[in-house]
Amino acid sequence: MGVATVAVFSEADSNAMHVGLADESYCIGPALLKNSYLNMSAILTIAVASKAEAIHPGYGLLSENAKFASLCEQCGITFIGPSSDTISKMGDKNEARITMKNAGVPVIPGSEIIKDLPQAKFEALNIGYPVMLKARAGGGGRGIRIVRNESELELAFMSATAEARSAFGDGEVYMEKYLFPVKHIEVQVICDKHGNIVCLGERECSVQRKNQKIIEESPSSSITPKIRKAMNEAARKAAKSVNYEGVGTIEFLLDKDKNFYFMEMNTRLQVEHPVTEMVTGIDLVKWQIRAAAGLELDFNEENTPIRGHAIECRINAEDPMDGFRPSCGKISLLHFPGGPWVRFDTAVYQDYVVPPFYDSLIGKLIVHAKTREEAIRKMRAALCELVVEGIHTNTDLHLSILSDIEFFSGAYTTDFLTRKDFK
Amino acid sequence: MFTKDLFKKPKNELESSSKDKKAPAVCIPEELCISCPSCKKPHFKTDVNESSGICPSCGHYFKIGARARIDIIADKKSFIEHDKKLTSTNIIAFPEYDDKIDKAKKESKESEAVITGVCSISGYACAIFVMEPRFIMGSMGRIVGEKITRLFEFATKKGLPVVGYTVSGGARMQEGILSLLQMAKVSGAVKNHSDAGNLYVTVLTNPTTGGVTASFAMLGDIIIAEPNALIGFAGPRVIEQTMRQKLPQNFQKAEYLLETGFIDGIVDRREQKEYLRKVLKIHGGKV
Repeated sequence: MGVATVAVFSEADSNAMHVGLADESYCIGPALLKNSYLNMSAILTIAVASKAEAIHPGYGLLSENAKFASLCEQCGITFIGPSSDTISKMGDKNEARITMKNAGVPVIPGSEIIKDLPQAKFEALNIGYPVMLKARAGGGGRGIRIVRNESELELAFMSATAEARSAFGDGEVYMEKYLFPVKHIEVQVICDKHGNIVCLGERECSVQRKNQKIIEESPSSSITPKIRKAMNEAARKAAKSVNYEGVGTIEFLLDKDKNFYFMEMNTRLQVEHPVTEMVTGIDLVKWQIRAAAGLELDFNEENTPIRGHAIECRINAEDPMDGFRPSCGKISLLHFPGGPWVRFDTAVYQDYVVPPFYDSLIGKLIVHAKTREEAIRKMRAALCELVVEGIHTNTDLHLSILSDIEFFSGAYTTDFLTRKDFK
Repeated sequence: MFTKDLFKKPKNELESSSKDKKAPAVCIPEELCISCPSCKKPHFKTDVNESSGICPSCGHYFKIGARARIDIIADKKSFIEHDKKLTSTNIIAFPEYDDKIDKAKKESKESEAVITGVCSISGYACAIFVMEPRFIMGSMGRIVGEKITRLFEFATKKGLPVVGYTVSGGARMQEGILSLLQMAKVSGAVKNHSDAGNLYVTVLTNPTTGGVTASFAMLGDIIIAEPNALIGFAGPRVIEQTMRQKLPQNFQKAEYLLETGFIDGIVDRREQKEYLRKVLKIHGGKV
């Protein structure tokens, strides 16, 4: 794109690849996240001093932080993402739910904010057990309790509010019907500043461990063209209702009767965006930056068909044989798979030392083929070609999942990994 | 390991389509960040405001304006201001006093160094005065004395308790003896208020000195202070120079005053509202 880049890094990341790739790089603090990558004043100082016009927040860290987006707005630096207002609206899970309901997007049957136990009892009877208590400021699975009957309600209500208060400083909870088993299906949208909203198909992300996605694929093999159309329509309504700008993802739950419900909106780029890029041919990050610069999208849904099937495996530095213990250290030997439509997104290199401070994701292996079956075969071959020595990775777990009949059938749900005992 | 110049840089010019898009000018608003005078760490102003003007890293108490103080203590939208328009004039033609008043007004956006009125604190009605540090360091001139006196007279008539926040460098020397007279005037009004059986609570904040300490700041039925606040008559440097003696550590600090029995307690800024609620309730406060 010809855009000059400025990288920021922590003391632990001085040998990271992005530091060498960028035109300019600056250290913003010690390894601990709160002192470096979450240090808003340090990041803004670098942005101002280096005359950066925009900040790409990546995913995680400050990417969904309304305060950071607002500070960028105040300083006249473009935050590559939606407005701080949209972020805070979607960050309040209860408000997001109400906004979506009003916009005509199907939401899980549930209540407003619950004030006390009698109200909780009343709402639970209305909704019907099992129900789920959720923190309105929620995230990362905290402040969530599943309640199967009335006897469990009091304890769950008390502990959910207490946990939410200590984790988010806001103890307010609401209630939703607990749906089980479900599939996690999300729709990618991209919106420019000219009112164009384009849906770029869905991703199925039901292979999860502790709410963390491990394998994602696009398109989903379990929805019909009719459901897909309705889901895209709902996603478009959702984006429109908050005047969304940039790339965003609307997450839905699909129940066994093929009803889908709005779960939440991620107001940022997702880790799994490459599968969408593979099936649409759209470079999402490039268009995210262009849209933030005020350019108009030059594609629409009609001229962007979904082609073939793409799968992504998240390669984590962890040891599945030892309770998924994070693994760090020097990579002594590294070999990437290659060939047509095989992509490995990573920032590691031979002799790189994986630091112990950050997320264990070290790479994303993505393949694209004409059919799902061919994509699975291709992924198995690619995983076998991937060699990372010196640290543990979850490559073998991926191979086991890809050889599983249930995964192959496409009928797997979010409890898939909990039920199976992959070694 | 990677070295900085391992990668060649592509010689791609900026995409033609992006060229005509003008980036907004970067402009940093003033006071977006403030640095803590105690721990020197920079903090966003919004963060400091959210924690009631207390440094999120070291707990240092920033000076806060009278309006901000009322926002923290009074119930939302309950504050009704009295004598808003009263303002000082240069009655004894003191040199440069007019400029000083103009500058103070601009800096503090207030017309005088004290704001008075009525409000409710957690539902309990009271009269309140809060001094403004950005207005000539909350110094006490004729109008400060007049406004506080009127507030006490109003509170006596209505049977209301008075809560007073003090921060002051003392009497305003630019008004000469007339400012010193305020000490007696306010004290008289406080006495009448007290004789009528009403409660008076003072909260001493950093710094409360001079004629204010020597009069209404120390006349509260209950006197509390903020942690580490400087409270005294003449400042420690003046005393040290006059007496030619080394003063004890902590001298004139709230903690020292608590130890020596001058004040009744030290209350964290974030807990003052709850403290005042309790005090007002115990002393028969009206909702």
